[in-house]
Amino acid sequence: MAILWIFLGVVVLFVLILVYYINKIIGVHNRVKNAWAQIDVQLKKRADLVPNLIETVKGYAKHEREVFENVTKARSAILSAQTVQQKAEANNMLTGALKSLFAVAEGYPELKASENFKLFQEQLDGIESKIAYARQFYNDAVLEYNNTIQMVPGRFFAGIMGKTPEQFFEIEEAERAVPKVKF
Amino acid sequence: MGRTSFYSEIGRNKRNSVLLVVAILLILLVLVYIISEIFLPEYALMLLIFVGIFVIVDAYMSYKHGDKIILKATNAKPADPVKHAYYLNTVEGLALAAGLPVPKAYVLPDKDINAFATGRDPEHASIAVTQGALDKLNRQELEGVIAHEMSHIGNHDIRFFTLIAVFVGLVAILSHIFLRSLLYSGGGNSGNRDDAGLLIIAGLILAIIAPIVVRLVQLSISRKREYLADATGVKLTRYPPGLAGALEKIKKYNQGRMNVSEAVSHLFISDPKNTFMDNIFATHPPIDRRIEKLRSM
Repeated sequence: MAILWIFLGVVVLFVLILVYYINKIIGVHNRVKNAWAQIDVQLKKRADLVPNLIETVKGYAKHEREVFENVTKARSAILSAQTVQQKAEANNMLTGALKSLFAVAEGYPELKASENFKLFQEQLDGIESKIAYARQFYNDAVLEYNNTIQMVPGRFFAGIMGKTPEQFFEIEEAERAVPKVKF
Repeated sequence: MGRTSFYSEIGRNKRNSVLLVVAILLILLVLVYIISEIFLPEYALMLLIFVGIFVIVDAYMSYKHGDKIILKATNAKPADPVKHAYYLNTVEGLALAAGLPVPKAYVLPDKDINAFATGRDPEHASIAVTQGALDKLNRQELEGVIAHEMSHIGNHDIRFFTLIAVFVGLVAILSHIFLRSLLYSGGGNSGNRDDAGLLIIAGLILAIIAPIVVRLVQLSISRKREYLADATGVKLTRYPPGLAGALEKIKKYNQGRMNVSEAVSHLFISDPKNTFMDNIFATHPPIDRRIEKLRSM
């Protein structure tokens, strides 16, 4: 009789562990997906700033056609992008175009001094920081998920559920080079 | 000192604070046991239950509404979206890094560099910084401070502290009731036991020192959670010199004269009011030690 109770106890224990790990794996995987979506929220915020930013700059530097065109083109590319690859490329294009826009603005002291423009700079700085923080959180979430499904005993349950490791967000090799500052 | 990682700091402080909570619970249990062994006049049980309920309800009220009270008491004003754009962007960014909902942001009118976080859970949280902090700290230092406060929210410290305050309150009240009952009923129905005398003496000693011991343990927990918030803050910013720089400025500039009650001083990043009690009864770890730990991460 005692053996029956022990057997029952082991089964209950196993079921509890199974439930715990299945739920944990699903929870941390969903956190990874949520974290990825949060990056997109910030990227969209940045794209949404563009029309008003262009209007502000045009008010002081309306002849700088090329710069405006590049920024507008990049924004259209973001709006029409379908795949993850396309979105990433479009966002990189916007990053470059915005850099040029701010470089051009350097030559217009009245523009630089205007409160509106300063606010835009602050907002853009803020969004770039948030993009960085969102990517950091995404990587933290990926770390926790990968650890959970690769370490024992999570790996046994992950195998049954068909879960595979996610990829960290990594920057291009070219971006890794330390920028040279020349005066 | 050798290098350490914020991961190990986080683990260590979480474990230590759990052990300390267990210590408080044990003292509470021992107290209850000795009291029930010695005597239990009928009215004492009723009083115990009544007082227990009172302590729990009081704690729950302060847990639920404590944030409004402290924000009002410190003259906190909501942050201005234009004037405090950088502050608001930083709060939002760090909330993203922590995976938490964005807390409401406030500014306090004081000249000292300080900040606190409050609110019963991450969905109802608020962060406040002083004008002194906004004026005197550079961007990385302000980020370090906000990351520390965000960590208190993420680690559910406000809830944690409230829970411990309940246990500490119970120990204090139990000891009080026990001592008074001894005084008035002189040992009750314990006269039949052989070890009655010894038990009463043990109970007496315990009832006198238990409240003090438990308070010291509570302060120790508070210090551990401060170290934990420092380390978790580093996990958010990945930049220890930020917070270290802010603490160094706090050490240099702060006068310790903020008009805040001792009961809530543990919520601030640095003790807002210097009192003579601060040596043994400190709610915060020594600033130099905090800076040392951060510089070694």
